[in-house]
Amino acid sequence: MTEKQRVKIEKMSSPVLKMGNVEIVLGKVEDAWDEPMGPTPKPRLADLRDWDMKLLNRYEPFYSPICDMCCMCSYGKCDLTKQRRGACGLDMRTQQARTIAMESVIGAACHGAHARHVIEHQIQRLGRDYEIDMGLNIATEAPVTRAIVGIKPKTLGDLEEAMEYAEGEIQNVLSSIHTGQEGDYKDYESKALHIGMIDNLVKEIADIAQIVGYDFPRGDPDAPLVEMGPGTVDHKKPVVLMIGHNVAAGAEVLTYAEAYDKLDTIEIAGICCTAHDLTRKNPKAKVIGPMSEQARYIRSGIADVIVLDEQCIRTDILEEAKKVGSVVITTSDKLAAGLPDMTSRPADEIVDKLVSGEIPGALILKPEKVGEVAVKTAEMIAPLREGRKAIPSKRELVKEAKKCTACEACMRHCPVNLHISDALSAAKKGKLKALEDLRERCIGCKRCEAACPKEIPIVSLMEKASEKMLKEKKCKLRSGRGPILDTEIRNVGPPIVFGEIPGVVAFAGCSNYANGAKEVPEIAEEFLKRRYIVVASGCAAMALAMYTDEEGKTLYEKYPGNFDAGNLANVGSCVANAHILGAAIKIPHIFARRNLRANFEEIADYILNRVGAVGVVWGTYSQKALSITTGLNRWGIPVIWGPSGVKYRRLYLGRRDQPEKWEVYDAKTGNKVPAGPLPEHLTYVAESKEEVIVSIARLVMRPNDTTKGRQIKLSHYIDLHRRYYGGMPKDLPLFIRTEGDIPITEKETVKNILKEAGWKETPIPDPTLLERMIMKRV
Amino acid sequence: MRPDVAARIILKAEKPLLVVGAEIADHGGAPLRTAVRLAQELEMPIIATAHSCKFLEKEGFTNYVEMGLVELTNAASDPEWQGVEGYGKPDLIIVFGAHLDLMNALFQTLKSFSDIPTLSISRYFMINADFSLPNLDEDLWLQSLEDLCREVEKGRAKAPL
Repeated sequence: MTEKQRVKIEKMSSPVLKMGNVEIVLGKVEDAWDEPMGPTPKPRLADLRDWDMKLLNRYEPFYSPICDMCCMCSYGKCDLTKQRRGACGLDMRTQQARTIAMESVIGAACHGAHARHVIEHQIQRLGRDYEIDMGLNIATEAPVTRAIVGIKPKTLGDLEEAMEYAEGEIQNVLSSIHTGQEGDYKDYESKALHIGMIDNLVKEIADIAQIVGYDFPRGDPDAPLVEMGPGTVDHKKPVVLMIGHNVAAGAEVLTYAEAYDKLDTIEIAGICCTAHDLTRKNPKAKVIGPMSEQARYIRSGIADVIVLDEQCIRTDILEEAKKVGSVVITTSDKLAAGLPDMTSRPADEIVDKLVSGEIPGALILKPEKVGEVAVKTAEMIAPLREGRKAIPSKRELVKEAKKCTACEACMRHCPVNLHISDALSAAKKGKLKALEDLRERCIGCKRCEAACPKEIPIVSLMEKASEKMLKEKKCKLRSGRGPILDTEIRNVGPPIVFGEIPGVVAFAGCSNYANGAKEVPEIAEEFLKRRYIVVASGCAAMALAMYTDEEGKTLYEKYPGNFDAGNLANVGSCVANAHILGAAIKIPHIFARRNLRANFEEIADYILNRVGAVGVVWGTYSQKALSITTGLNRWGIPVIWGPSGVKYRRLYLGRRDQPEKWEVYDAKTGNKVPAGPLPEHLTYVAESKEEVIVSIARLVMRPNDTTKGRQIKLSHYIDLHRRYYGGMPKDLPLFIRTEGDIPITEKETVKNILKEAGWKETPIPDPTLLERMIMKRV
Repeated sequence: MRPDVAARIILKAEKPLLVVGAEIADHGGAPLRTAVRLAQELEMPIIATAHSCKFLEKEGFTNYVEMGLVELTNAASDPEWQGVEGYGKPDLIIVFGAHLDLMNALFQTLKSFSDIPTLSISRYFMINADFSLPNLDEDLWLQSLEDLCREVEKGRAKAPL
């Protein structure tokens, strides 16, 4: 790797010069990392374009334009329908691809700015030379960074080199979106894929810096079970609620409370990923839930102080907080919320102004000061706020419900099509069960309230109807374990690659669920029982903890936290999902001994053809979920979105009716051979829970599966198809290469299907899309 | 659009294709029976998206092709698409019973990238479909589906062989 040499001079005196406390950076030298530099260190856009085009020719982008116009420059706005071009010459397809590239940049920039902030903060706390130590069982400390950047980071300062590269790429792709730049949709997609890969990189950087700086678990499968749910917070104590994704400020709240022995006298809780990371720092912190809880939890009035950091935060938090007298502290220059900058003021002065109501909140950019102010303010303001909430009484609820004229504007504006007016009709008669049931599926976006001509506070009515249930809602979430251990990869690498562990299913992303969060654990458990490896991060990892079985246990209590068959591993927050990709990358490196260093294409080719991993983002909402998905796609990992994902406007879909697109090289012979539509899609939208379950079973198949592995995968596919679709799958001939692939228990039935379809045997290749990986030419 | 007008559009098509989504069973058996009646009357296959094939099988209807809604949309937006197994390229795509976002995506995509006309017979007006029933309450919608089927059956009975 490259490494800066530093000389620190504490004091020097000569006839011409006097100086002190000076650090001199002498330059960079190559160290003794014995892995040779691969072909693409710090790849620029064009370096991996060939790989992208291989993917894009097979998985031709599908566009569903949300908007018919382009409104991005003052030539327009331009109507792009019916093959029209805009004033700059751009067509509809390219405009969609451009938007995808732009949204991916936004997602990557969010994770990147997060990473930059965490690195700077940790370097300020611990120094640039602070060692990156990921523990005894993690030698491959930064697989994504190694594969992309070609460095092996040893210190916090080393992460800056990777960060500088990433920032340059983000700027470059962003510039391509300017009017009159790129004009080809596939090239825009290549840029989106590139920036998705950069997103993977900056997430890994951010989480390594967090793990090292805050001493988070380093791949601990037994990370503690922590409390989650609205019912876990003791309302009688002062409550500090953190919302967002960057735990820097929240960590200091914990540090202050720890230092002054207040952890048992105040409640520190979080919503969204910052909550995950609070529990990684101290398991006494509590998790309220995912983003959907923000507005309604604030309306409950329980939080005395609300600390906002960054990303996925409702922009009306301050307004909601004012209704219940909660104080808001913003902690990032990216989200100042119009509040006065109090960073330079003494902590006690800020506390006084907040408690007296002189200011509704404050912007404080020093995390340590946030810790002190938040805790002190919560303690002082809690007795003054007692009983304040924006939830109606039952009588008020009925009165509000009676205003409803059943115009159904609420339902038409609801992103998940909830039958709200039916529930309000029942509520008029004092029957609240329907409203309570709706809350289970509500995503908390408040679009119904905005649409209601009678200004009924619908979300608050649901909250009231669910009051008893919410008080009792407590569950157990396994705190984020961080990376997957190298030792775990050694154990599961071979069975994954040969197909004997039928697949890895990774749940990630937001809480914009079409049919309630409950479907996420239902999907996960289907595969846990079948001994797939299930991993999770972000809001999806919280959804997995929100429901209990008849014995009151969540999935985290029922299934161990290892990266192993039939296990459920929560890696942590959104940035921690880089470790899920990291596990896929480690398989070719550790098990197949492929070089990792700056060797993106070879590793991605390996994953695409051999590692049966599938991502599920069942509640897509943010640009970050898009960049996460697009990044995984470039590495050859398919991702299934829930129905809301179609509003991102682009998918990567394969076509099984075009067999010529599914040929691969057999690396042993150099022949091009059919490899089935595997994996059939890179980004797919499923319509229902049933469809996602069946699709997962299909998308984990890979050309490299051994016959035994394919048998196992097909037996799950057939069984799940029978159970959820009501019969045998009709497409089996596409996935059977030799009779040895047929599950033994289905031999006769499947043979008949093959006969009817005129099926012919095909060879099992040593699959690759890269010509340079061919070992022998015929 | 009134159901009788929708029926005339369907009758005018030589190769209509019916797409039925997984929410078809959320409204009792009536919409499902509508789908089967239309498919049988017009001798067309049904594209069964997600797990809707399960409900069609229960109705004893087997002339369906299993496809994801976005897979169908993707194929139909390709000018070279030859249509589903042995049926040929459709000249009208009729849709109902799927998730609203996905139905809307189908109509948006085909509006932009295909010349195949589209008709929505779902409960909600679909702004990007070429033709669509209006927003209807549940009872009126079910009645509209019944009227539509009757008009199609009447029209077919009148049509010369």
